[in-house]
Amino acid sequence: MPDLIIDGRAVTVPAGTPVIEAAQRLGIMIPRFCWHKALKVAGACRMCAVYFLDGPVKGLEMSCSTLALDGMVVDTGHPEAVDFRRWVIELLMVNHPHDCPVCDEGGQCLLQDETISGNHALRRYPGRKRTYRDQDLGPFVAHEMNRCIHCYRCSRFYQDIAGGRDFGPMQIASRVYFGRYEDGRLESPFSGNIVDLCPTGVLTDKTARFKARHWDLERAPSVCPHCSLGCNTTVNARYREVVRIEARANAAVNGYFLCDRGRFSHGFSSLPDRPRKALSRGLETSMEQAVTQLCARLKETAARHGPQALACLSSSRASLETLGALAGLAQSSGWTGPAVFSGPAQAGRTLQATLALSDTRACSLAEVAQADAVLCLGVDPVNEAPMLALALRQAALRGAPVLTADPRPLELPLPFVHLPVHPRDLPACLDALIALAAPAAENAPDALARLLPGYPELWPRLEQAAPALAACRRPLLVWGQAMPGPGLGEAVVRAAEVLSRTKDDCKLMAVLPGPNAYGAALLDKGDRPTWRDVLAGVSAGRIKAVLAVECDLPDPEILGGLEMLAVLDHLPSPIADMAQIFLPTTNLYESGASLVNNEGRLQFARPVQARGLPVSQDGRGGHPPRLYDLGLPGSDPKPAWEILADLQAALGGRGPSHPWEAVAAACPALAHLAPENYPFDGVRVVRHAAAPGLSPGAEAEARDTGPGTGFFSVVRGESLFGSDALGSYSPLARRAAGEPVARLASADALALGLADSDTAVITLDGRSLEIGVRPSPHMPPGVLVLPGHLVLESGTARVGRKKGEGA
Amino acid sequence: MSTPFSPVLLRNRRDSGPLCLEDYCSTGGYEALKATLNKRSPGDVLEMVVEANLRGRGGAGFPAGRKWQSVPKGRGGPKYILPNTDEMEPGTFKDRILVGADPHLVIEGVVLCAYAVQANHGLFFIRPSYEMDAELMEKEVGIARQAGYLGKNILGSGFDFDLVVHRSAGRYICGEASAQINAIAGNRPNPQKGGPRMAVQGLWGRPTVVNNVETLACLPGILQNGARWFKDLALTPTGSGSKLYCVSGPVVRPGCFELPMGAPLRDIVFGQAGGMLPGRSFKACLPGGASTAFLPARHLDVAMDFDALAAIGHRLGTGSIIVFDEDICLVGATLNMINFFARESCGWCTPCREGLPYIGEILRQIESGQGREEYIPLLRRMARNMDYAYCSFAQGAVAPLLGLLDSFEDELREHIARRSCPFGAVVPAPPGKTCATGPVTFGPTPCREGLSCRI
Repeated sequence: MPDLIIDGRAVTVPAGTPVIEAAQRLGIMIPRFCWHKALKVAGACRMCAVYFLDGPVKGLEMSCSTLALDGMVVDTGHPEAVDFRRWVIELLMVNHPHDCPVCDEGGQCLLQDETISGNHALRRYPGRKRTYRDQDLGPFVAHEMNRCIHCYRCSRFYQDIAGGRDFGPMQIASRVYFGRYEDGRLESPFSGNIVDLCPTGVLTDKTARFKARHWDLERAPSVCPHCSLGCNTTVNARYREVVRIEARANAAVNGYFLCDRGRFSHGFSSLPDRPRKALSRGLETSMEQAVTQLCARLKETAARHGPQALACLSSSRASLETLGALAGLAQSSGWTGPAVFSGPAQAGRTLQATLALSDTRACSLAEVAQADAVLCLGVDPVNEAPMLALALRQAALRGAPVLTADPRPLELPLPFVHLPVHPRDLPACLDALIALAAPAAENAPDALARLLPGYPELWPRLEQAAPALAACRRPLLVWGQAMPGPGLGEAVVRAAEVLSRTKDDCKLMAVLPGPNAYGAALLDKGDRPTWRDVLAGVSAGRIKAVLAVECDLPDPEILGGLEMLAVLDHLPSPIADMAQIFLPTTNLYESGASLVNNEGRLQFARPVQARGLPVSQDGRGGHPPRLYDLGLPGSDPKPAWEILADLQAALGGRGPSHPWEAVAAACPALAHLAPENYPFDGVRVVRHAAAPGLSPGAEAEARDTGPGTGFFSVVRGESLFGSDALGSYSPLARRAAGEPVARLASADALALGLADSDTAVITLDGRSLEIGVRPSPHMPPGVLVLPGHLVLESGTARVGRKKGEGA
Repeated sequence: MSTPFSPVLLRNRRDSGPLCLEDYCSTGGYEALKATLNKRSPGDVLEMVVEANLRGRGGAGFPAGRKWQSVPKGRGGPKYILPNTDEMEPGTFKDRILVGADPHLVIEGVVLCAYAVQANHGLFFIRPSYEMDAELMEKEVGIARQAGYLGKNILGSGFDFDLVVHRSAGRYICGEASAQINAIAGNRPNPQKGGPRMAVQGLWGRPTVVNNVETLACLPGILQNGARWFKDLALTPTGSGSKLYCVSGPVVRPGCFELPMGAPLRDIVFGQAGGMLPGRSFKACLPGGASTAFLPARHLDVAMDFDALAAIGHRLGTGSIIVFDEDICLVGATLNMINFFARESCGWCTPCREGLPYIGEILRQIESGQGREEYIPLLRRMARNMDYAYCSFAQGAVAPLLGLLDSFEDELREHIARRSCPFGAVVPAPPGKTCATGPVTFGPTPCREGLSCRI
């Protein structure tokens, strides 16, 4: 722990801390461009020069590449250092255009700040400015190379941290060009981070271009709602519209970065067709009227068929506040539900996962990088939880072998061993990996033949990875919930037990279906119905009325025959169109939301903007309205929990008056958090498995599948963009997602006579659908990967060629 | 010179071309190798090199023995030798002469160095414009391998070492050791500072020795004749060995000459190189390539050695003397060199990437008669600030400028006062097109014939 003195103040920092960071601990901001805590030290910009008066280093030196040592006396304001830094600014401004007034970075530009604070005002350089030709880097990132100050932050992130290979520095000397080898969309799923990292306006958010000046933005800390990892974000809104998302640093979760899905999928919040008015049988009405009518209809149905004939639906995209209020309402009224998971398998697995993630086992996203071996089972990191792929890469860069057993054709920005096994063989595959990781590796050859008899082609890959597995001390097991077939979660827990006996530590990470799936599971004592149960009840005539709160059913037609369908949502979902009574809700950007991420970390997304119609949509030419006394247009929506509380009050009960009241009542694991301390951010939820009745439901054995049987195991496949619930409503994300396709093994496709981009007819759950196919050589036979929005729950399907197509 | 000096490194230089293996062996070639492999321990070889005070000939003059001693002993994985022939320093052509004259002397030196540090792999890193020499080396390496001087079990000693020829992509900075390692690994050739030394962690994270070929070619002599002999070759007490001096400029016989280390500058320019061309008079020279400062005529009697030049505030560099006569505008010459360095900067750090073109522009203004009085302190300050660039490239780049400011400030002032170049030099146009630098367009790699003809 070196002790040093910076600007006359003593500071003690851990060994290996650069002086620039030590100064930061004292609140001294040494000017910098290339230095960033998350990136490797570059020493390229020479902006952080400070003067060392005494100690092991003397004279002018860069504070980013000098480690703090005992006895250093540093003067950050020494005339020589100030003079040198001023010169660096002058050099950088030699070629930087004076286009701040039209630059999107203006107002949050490091170069602007340093130029002004360094008092560089007059240009001495007599020559011309250098200019570049810009590139089209795709729909997300705008490129303006003339503004580049060559800090190499973008390429150090893009290539080193994110493993991208299509963007980087080219040429040398003053011609260095940061770009792609040709125009085109940046391939990395983390490309948006270079916008955050760029200290000037070279790389800016194309989706937010010219929408707002930085100082006019409404900004609030938020949490990403596009997968279960719960990365922290800063949401920027202007004129009642979210215009930009930035990564927010959280060392325990996402570090400094965010994936492109989380950054560019915010369009759901300001859709032109977003329902903002309460509707009763298709006619606009006031919120109060709608609640009164809804109350009357619900009472009527309950009186006629009994309260059990009323079912509540919600989903893991709803906030904890909403879920709590709905659970309280359903319980006090004796209704069925709320059903938040799509089927018993999803519910059981999610519940099982939350129980498995005990205090000592649960691994945060940040801790992934510390693992020295990672086994992923039934998880597609880039497409299900993109930031996990970034974390895995950091582990791999530190030497951890990464093995992924998954039937889907995976792509990861890191060296990894892919084991394409059938979903039913995943537990056996895990057992084989554990056998290899055991210190007595002599059994390994036998273990492979015994546990994975069907995959001799994988044995060499596994044997090659065996020494690294056997040597690891801190293994990490990651598993997903999308695989059909039972037993994976249990196998993972067993494996963790076995590993922890011989290793220092064994961590677990579950990738869950939805941003608040953990929170939804907290409401569940193992006895809740699922969507599938409710839909079956509707078909059987047991359920007569449904109250659906912020959920998307893949197959909603079945609800058409209900006596009563009421929907609360902030999205133009298919069931919102069918609803007899519709009540608009606010989303997390407007009212805030508590979400529990896949690690069990309770986080709060603060409200960012006023509820109401974006100015760009209010038909008055994009200018803020001049009439102040009429209220905001489109500001009827209320938080779902408030509407539910109103409804409960109207039904004669006592609705919660505080968003946390119902949550604390509904979730025993959160009962200790008092409403007066609300909101809660960063609290780890501890779930005790000992609670009675808390056991995940058993799953039925899946039907035999394979080329011979004509049946395929259906696996939900996600895509980076547009496959998460909210993102699927975002126009930009949908455009980026491209056409949905079904994937199957090349051999199966050949047997069925299907070639690449042929259309297949798929029979699933009694429905049939047509979809293009893309065969892959990296898939096991008998597996069909379908886009997630087409599949309610994994099952089995028949595949055939579309008639009249092909040979 | 009082005692006649017989060349050591260039003893086999013939007009007829490179020396073949038989001829090399007939003049005592590979005897040092035979006398060393398994006869002396690697430690003894290192001791001898340290005792001989062999200093790097590539420019920095770092003691080679000390560098090699820091290579970890042990055999845990590969170690690399990179004989550096990326000779891009303007005015320097000694490595090309050496390789072209006596390739096997170089190979023997490389193998001896490899034996000393127990390395098994060598990459002969050569500038692509030396295509003829690269082909020569490829051929001679093959011959040496056939003869058992390279490859597995060299001369039955059990020591394995092999050498491959690696052509650089042809940039000045690739001659810098850490940049060279990056270049070989397929990365951008940016120098790298901090972290473990290259002798411990270099190419592919393994111990790596990067040395100029002239340095390595000294080894056979040292091992055959002893450290004492090598030290005694030099004329100065702290110097050692002989040195290849290159002379270019308006002299009668420009060329590469081998002389004892510490030969007086006057002897080299006016003796070996035959003095100035008729009608020209000596004004200044750059003693060690373009990254050293102008040495005015009053220093003509300085001994061309590391320490002697350091004593008067100059550097030996590569020992390549570029001579300027009284009719040459030194502002123009400095501008020319700054433009070269501005072009060859790797583009990593601000002072070098942006500062060198800035200096170039100021000098261009002065040379074209638009100079202003305040440019002189500005140049002085910018040149001083180059000390804080990332690597020493920028410091070397401004060395001629510092020489100009120190010794020829009057000439600068005359440019400014007269509002034109007193030598009537034509104003050089700004280099290249400054507008619209686009991304690189990748075409097919030129064929080897094309490469050797074009560059």
